Amino acid sequence: MTPSPTICPAFAGALAARRAEFNRRTHEARRRHQQAFDEAALTAFLRTEVDGVVRAVAAVAQERVQEVVSAAYDIALELCGQGLAGGVGAGPAAFLGQVWRKLAPALAHVVAPLPEQVLGMLSNAALHLAALDGVRCSQWLDEMTALAPRIQTPAELRSLGQLLAWRAGAAHFRSGALAAASGLPAQLALAAFPESHASDWDALHARLLADPWHRPGQAGGREIGAFSGFGGVFAAPPQVRANDAGFVVASGERHFLLLADAYGAMLLAATREEFEAAGQARAELPVETRGGQLFFGRQALATDLPAAGLQVCATATTLAVSSPYSHAIRLLPREAAHG
Amino acid sequence: MRFDFFQRISRAPTNPHPAPKPREFDVADLYRGPVAAGAAAEAPQRALDEKLRQAYFWIVNKAIISPHYDIEYNDGPAQRYLVGDARRALTLPSAQSYSSFILLPLLTFATRRKCLFVGGPGRGKTASAILMGVLSGAPVREVKRAMQHGHPQMTVADLLGNPLPADLVAAQSMDEIRIAWRSWLRMRVKIVDEYNRIPTRTQSALLTVMGDNYAEVLGQVFECPPSAWYLTANDDEGGGTFQVIEALRDRIDVIVQALAFNPRFLGDLLLRIEEDVRPEELMPRELVFSDDEVDEMGGAIRDIAVPEQVRRRLEFFASQFELCEPAGGQFEYMTKDTARLAGTPWHELAAAENGRDRLADLGCQTRNGLSVRNLTTLLVYAKALAWFRGNAEVELEDLRQVLPFVLHDKLRPDLDAPFFALPENAASRSDRVGWLRRLFDLANDEYTRLGLERDDPVGALAAQFEAGLDGVSERETRARLVKIEKLVAEQTRGRKLYGHLYDDLLKLKYLHQRYTNYLAWLRAQ
Repeated sequence: MTPSPTICPAFAGALAARRAEFNRRTHEARRRHQQAFDEAALTAFLRTEVDGVVRAVAAVAQERVQEVVSAAYDIALELCGQGLAGGVGAGPAAFLGQVWRKLAPALAHVVAPLPEQVLGMLSNAALHLAALDGVRCSQWLDEMTALAPRIQTPAELRSLGQLLAWRAGAAHFRSGALAAASGLPAQLALAAFPESHASDWDALHARLLADPWHRPGQAGGREIGAFSGFGGVFAAPPQVRANDAGFVVASGERHFLLLADAYGAMLLAATREEFEAAGQARAELPVETRGGQLFFGRQALATDLPAAGLQVCATATTLAVSSPYSHAIRLLPREAAHG
Repeated sequence: MRFDFFQRISRAPTNPHPAPKPREFDVADLYRGPVAAGAAAEAPQRALDEKLRQAYFWIVNKAIISPHYDIEYNDGPAQRYLVGDARRALTLPSAQSYSSFILLPLLTFATRRKCLFVGGPGRGKTASAILMGVLSGAPVREVKRAMQHGHPQMTVADLLGNPLPADLVAAQSMDEIRIAWRSWLRMRVKIVDEYNRIPTRTQSALLTVMGDNYAEVLGQVFECPPSAWYLTANDDEGGGTFQVIEALRDRIDVIVQALAFNPRFLGDLLLRIEEDVRPEELMPRELVFSDDEVDEMGGAIRDIAVPEQVRRRLEFFASQFELCEPAGGQFEYMTKDTARLAGTPWHELAAAENGRDRLADLGCQTRNGLSVRNLTTLLVYAKALAWFRGNAEVELEDLRQVLPFVLHDKLRPDLDAPFFALPENAASRSDRVGWLRRLFDLANDEYTRLGLERDDPVGALAAQFEAGLDGVSERETRARLVKIEKLVAEQTRGRKLYGHLYDDLLKLKYLHQRYTNYLAWLRAQ
């Protein structure tokens, strides 16, 4: 977005009212961060991202503008000092800008009372999600923005943000997000799962807790990983083992923790020790070919991989299918009755 | 919001380590990041070892301008360069390495022991000691006020406290004289600046506080709380205004040297001047340790295991130094300590040699042996370093790294020994840390050469005895006695006596005596 040539009168007034103070803070930040401090990025961030928030706050709580400007200005200085503002394209800085431009104004009624906390949370969440491979940031932003008018407090914002982060693919947040969601108003929590068409949040919540692959209207299973030469993370076809948290994967000299559910799959850094500690006995279970189809126990494996060397690794809820002929891992819900 | 560089603490684990427990993911991580977000993003409770590592990295990265990474760890081969005419090695370690000037004082804090900073004036010795005081939660002003500054006129009363004047006049007995104890005695971190400028008599009073943790004036006693001690001296040889009494020097557990400032870091120094920043005033509150936390750290450190092979190598190293064959007529008294107590001149002992290879014999490099206190301290610091690194047991490298700082002035070199006359060892005459590390390496090489890791008959006999004597028959006892006697004969046959052999023979004598006593008891049944 091109910075608007002028900022809104409310923002201009607030800056003018404490001009010396803002100049002092800028000077201090410049000295503190030295070469890293980008004044051009600060100007652009103030004109675009901060101005949008201030306009929205002025529309709902004019009396809070000065406080919001003060908090937003400090955050802008911090972000610019760390080179996190003014990004374009698909990096964390770019997503941060989107969150400030789209979501923060929609939350003006929550920002106004506690600007430092709410803008800080949104900034950190944007940077955190954008740094996680496999998270659908645009989905999180769209769903948060859609529900923003229904959020009344920072606590609701915090819990909903966590819930939607899990829905956007942050599989490692699943249990924490579902725990946080139990504190949300039922209607708001249900609204986070529009595809379920459910009317009873407690029942849906219990189902989500019990089955990580429960996702109304969508078949289970997903695929993760690709050859590092084509931009993936696996330098060699991965070996998979199960542990208490999920799966541990070894590929080349690197090791990963693999977590997956109906909403996403996440590869996180792990160690060789974790891989070696993962149960070898649970790692390789027999895969049989019957009638030209692959079976794990009585569960049919819908995969295009050749049977030779195929490995199926199982946790209580998930099957991970890997092959020496592929850099990808297929993840399938385990059929409890048959597996 | 403050833009305070000094308030930042590393949020990532400062020493990533294999997770001993199942992974737990905190959904609150979503809101943790570079922007302060108040209570919404409060940091989770950290493990104490991680907290200590964060304190270390805060001090190294924020408070100290030019750290030297002289405690080197490697994970795989390190890059090594031979530099200059002397071909000294510059190593680029392949694993997380540490600055002794910060790490040893921190381990001292965690174990509540005593650390001496040495080095020229203005190198940050006192500043580092103050940082340790702040780490204990005391305000900077209080730490500075409680710091004792050694000076030639310092009296015992200056150090410990005065009797109340009214009591001196009115008291009918010594018990009625109350003492106004100095406030520093209550501190959990005690700092004595320039301790080698304290008069000898006052040093003796200081020794009581350091050694026994109480102060005494006119028969009144003040019990000090458990505390870590930091002392500074411009000259580690004790050449200050007064000679430091040996007992006081012996109470010091580790000595670290403040190395020179690297002018390449002048920019950071300039920024600090311009910003008028004093790091000790800016230590983040999250890094401060409560007394309970320090207690807990001490317990966790004591729980760190010392594997047998590491212990054996330390035993072998320590065995090298005490033997002095010409000093004693009776086997047990052939020690350097016997000669020292008798006041025998060192050159006479050196002249009365028995034909050992004085270059190969590590014992020839020192004028004394190791005390129990030295070994205790060594084990405590090795455990503390292992714990700091997130390990459950001590590695040989942990021992190797702390050893020079613990034995810095405990193991005194004999600079007339042939080892120091070799051109390649010339630097060891002045570099005590390098010499001690080399000494430990040489002992380890010898241990490996002798194959003691695989075949240690004395260790096997000791282990057999440790298993207990319950149910051991008379016949079996006799067999064991014969085995010991055979081993003694074998070990002594035509061999020169070296330190480790001397200790092995004494151990065999001990085992023989224990079995002999047991045999006598069996017969009496």
